Amino acid sequence: MSLLEIIILLPLLGAALIGFGAPARLVGRSVALINLLLGGAALALLQQGKTLASSRVVLDTPKIAFSVGLDGLSAIMLLLTVLVTLAAIWQIIDKPAIYYTASLLISGGALGAFLSTDLFFMYGFHELALIPTLLMIAIHGHGDATTRRGIAWKITVYLGVGSLILLAGLAALVIYIGQGATFDLGYLTQAAANVKLPAATQGWIFFILLIGFGTLVSLFPMHSWAAPAYASAPTPVAMLHAGVLKKFGLYGLIKVALPLLPLGAKLEWVQNALLLMLVGNIIVIGLVTIHQDRLDTLLGNSSVMHMGYLFLGLAAGSQIALNGVVLLMFAHGISIALLFAICGKLRNQLGTLQFDKLGGLAANAPFLSLMFAFGAFASIGLPGLANFAGEVMVFVGTFDPSVGSLTSGLKNIHWATIFGLWGVVMSAVYMLRAYRKLFFGKPSSGLFMSDLVSSQRLPFVLLAVVLLVAGCYPGFLTGLIHGMFVTAAN
Amino acid sequence: MITLNHYLVVAAMLFAIGLAGVVARRNILTIYMCLEMMLSAANLTLVAFSRFHLHDGLPDYHAQALVFFTITVAAAEVAVGLAIIVALYRARQSVDVTTVTKLQG
Amino acid sequence: MSAHNIEIALAVAAVALLGLDAFVPTLKRDIIPKLSIGLVGLALLAMFFAKGDTPAYLASYYRIDSIAMFYKVFALVATLAALIIAREADPVIAHFTGTEGPSTRIAEFYILPLIVCVGLMWMASAQDLISVFVPLELVTVTFYVLVAFARRSAVSLEAGVKYLILGALSTGILVYGIAWIYGATGSMTFAGIAKAVGAASTSKSALIVGAALLLAGLGFKVAAAPFHVWVPDVYQGAPTPVTAFLSVGSKAGAFIVLTRAVQALTATGSQISGEVQTTLLWSGVITILFGSLAAITQTQIKRLLGYSSISHAGFILLALAAGDSARFGISSEGVVAFYLATYLPMTMLGFLLLAVLRSQGVAEELSQLQGLSKRSPGMAFALAVAFASLAGLPLTAGFIGKMLVFLAAVDKGWYGAVGLAVVGAAAGFYYYFRPILAAYSAGKPEDTALRWSLPAKATAAVLVLAIVTLGVYPKALQSALKQNIVLTSAGK
Repeated sequence: MSLLEIIILLPLLGAALIGFGAPARLVGRSVALINLLLGGAALALLQQGKTLASSRVVLDTPKIAFSVGLDGLSAIMLLLTVLVTLAAIWQIIDKPAIYYTASLLISGGALGAFLSTDLFFMYGFHELALIPTLLMIAIHGHGDATTRRGIAWKITVYLGVGSLILLAGLAALVIYIGQGATFDLGYLTQAAANVKLPAATQGWIFFILLIGFGTLVSLFPMHSWAAPAYASAPTPVAMLHAGVLKKFGLYGLIKVALPLLPLGAKLEWVQNALLLMLVGNIIVIGLVTIHQDRLDTLLGNSSVMHMGYLFLGLAAGSQIALNGVVLLMFAHGISIALLFAICGKLRNQLGTLQFDKLGGLAANAPFLSLMFAFGAFASIGLPGLANFAGEVMVFVGTFDPSVGSLTSGLKNIHWATIFGLWGVVMSAVYMLRAYRKLFFGKPSSGLFMSDLVSSQRLPFVLLAVVLLVAGCYPGFLTGLIHGMFVTAAN
Repeated sequence: MITLNHYLVVAAMLFAIGLAGVVARRNILTIYMCLEMMLSAANLTLVAFSRFHLHDGLPDYHAQALVFFTITVAAAEVAVGLAIIVALYRARQSVDVTTVTKLQG
Repeated sequence: MSAHNIEIALAVAAVALLGLDAFVPTLKRDIIPKLSIGLVGLALLAMFFAKGDTPAYLASYYRIDSIAMFYKVFALVATLAALIIAREADPVIAHFTGTEGPSTRIAEFYILPLIVCVGLMWMASAQDLISVFVPLELVTVTFYVLVAFARRSAVSLEAGVKYLILGALSTGILVYGIAWIYGATGSMTFAGIAKAVGAASTSKSALIVGAALLLAGLGFKVAAAPFHVWVPDVYQGAPTPVTAFLSVGSKAGAFIVLTRAVQALTATGSQISGEVQTTLLWSGVITILFGSLAAITQTQIKRLLGYSSISHAGFILLALAAGDSARFGISSEGVVAFYLATYLPMTMLGFLLLAVLRSQGVAEELSQLQGLSKRSPGMAFALAVAFASLAGLPLTAGFIGKMLVFLAAVDKGWYGAVGLAVVGAAAGFYYYFRPILAAYSAGKPEDTALRWSLPAKATAAVLVLAIVTLGVYPKALQSALKQNIVLTSAGK
């Protein structure tokens, strides 16, 4: 059994053990820790140039194999997943065992989705991670029973329909490019070069995939499930979904759609549709976010908004922009997980997240205040923290000569970049306002926030350090994906 | 001269009458009789086809073999069916299908 | 030992058990159930060592190919599962038959399934319409008794009457259809029919009448639209083990017959293959849509499973209609068999849980499931697996079955039909997830822990394992089925 298979199966095994009555906390925390170590080991092996891949055929005709493989892109997602999983598992305090089961299932499903190189398992693992997310919101979500049921059905319908559209797109890939013979991504990538689908066909398939994957990443206008779902979801679920699982949509677009359908992504109507949608993400949702008066919905909306930058990089498609997208995916995952973790702590102790009821929390909870600063500043894109490098690369990448020369005037994508830069201003506005209202100003009467005990600080520090390190030394991450997107860009 | 078609038409009529009875009648016993009539129609068809399907001047006996099986099966079906109908009558004091309405939805 | 001897031995054993029950009044209550389960287990074991030779006197009626072997094993496994469920439901059945005391017995309830099993096994090998008809009726008539078995329960009796009338109606239509097919082709054997459907001398109109009646008669048995109306009522009213057996065993039996009939009617050069294909396709699509959409409003779980069984039948019909797909390397009969093999564990698991719950006073209503995860985490988990698989969640057995059906249909270019079927499958996600949601939501404070017996627990574990294994490693089953395809095409 290969290392990657163990990394995928360990959380699933842990979830099953807990389901059958094993001590939840012990199993959950050990699995998260071991997986962090294994993930680090896999990364180290990749750095040394080792190929980590294995394949087991599970169905002969049509050929389906449980194939796993690690390239730079999936390695970064692996790192993100194990980090956020650890932090999320540590947020579960005095909760029923199902919290651990669900978190481990989401984590295992996400790992499976990121590490599989067979479309069948890639899709299957993502669904496996999605179901506990939905169930946890429906059963243990915040808010009264009717509201959370409503939210749970809404997210189920959105993500269910999105998944079906995605399935149709993947099936089209398998049929048109793979001739139905296989679901193997490596084979399909090679075949795509030989089959040479006409650009128009590629465009349609790419668009279907964009809608399918895009719904999972809350691409405007299929975004409306995301903010209420994150506001309602139990803390570890919100962290894992917003931080990790949601990125699967982008990961899929970069790993599957771009290399298989290079002409489709460049078609003018596909480009314009994508630009329109992502500007919607940045500007419309940005304005919505500014008007939020609660921390949980603010974070939910801000997470939707930041997806706009990622899609901008995708639309540009230049090497530097795609590198930026990957970096930003990682950075956003870490920062939003950190922010949701803090949000959970505040909700647990204070019972409310309304800005006008809270204030001056920094006095009693300096540690939380510092951590929130890390998350908020990273999210704004302050230099020195992880998101900055990613955002800069995305913005610069849109002006790359491969995107189009500027001598003939600004193209649509450049306008989108200009709107995107306004988005940065908006996120500065709402994040700083939230920070000021929560942690400074007049202390709220009757509400006391104590700081975290030291054993609880570990995951926070871990995430903050990762933000800092990745911000100061992004070369480690971009080095992993160096040269990956050369072909995609050409 | 009576041809194959005569038999087939009579059988088809029998079958149609039986089917109409099953659909239209409300008394379970009448329905059951109509069902038996449909089986008889099938038997008649089988025998007619068999008689007019000559192999070396002899009828093809495969179809006639099926007729004997059908008769036997029909007898078994009646035995079991009547038992159930009797049980229903004991429970309801009625064999009208319109009273059988507990299961709906 | 040849396979047909196992069937004969099982029939003899069933009759002997009936005699034992009739003439030995001092027998303990649970002896016959145990003997019955033991016999089926023994037969299953013997099946793996059985030889495929058929004596000459049976040759034109009966043939043992690998697909027949698959359905024989399937019948035995389904019977075994139904008998285990029956033991869990024993107190409920006893209550409704007035046999609650220790000195009383309900032996027939455990013996009749053996007779059904023999019928199903024989059907799997049937090569001509006579040897199809007789075991099919053996199964149907036995089910009349089983459905109405809880005779003091008004609903069971009512279900029995409904099944009786519609079953007898379908028999009449079936025999009439056989008569016309015989009239058109001059043959009773599938091989003879397959040869005659392409001949110029065969009357096309007579063939269409026969095929339509035959398909209608079999459509009743598999619950294909528009002949599905009896299913929800009968499934809800019949005792739970019988419903389980009916929805798995009887359906599989009808499908093997349908498979062979469709193969014969659409043989190369057939005059009516287009008509048969179109009928199956649209009947399948309507069946899926009806089953899925009507299930949305159900709150009674047995009834919900009834609708679910209708919609699954629709998917299998679609696979039959689509035929073989060279591009994906799948054969129609292989997909049908595969789908049924995935359908068995998930349906049986669902009914097993219902029987266990019912015997502890939890009625088959959605609202009664609330708090199940607290009362018995294991049951809630098994329920989640069963319903997730019924919905067709990836990495469960149900997904692979549906995927193969869709691939075969896509290869034929039936995008409209596939689209409608996807709508049905998507609706399934809604109504299959309601029981899971209920099971994992908070219950009432006065709820007590639920127990289940060791056999039930072990069976559930095996079924869960089967669902997951078929979902992530379907190759094992496909390899077994691959051999079938080779064998049957050689014999065609």
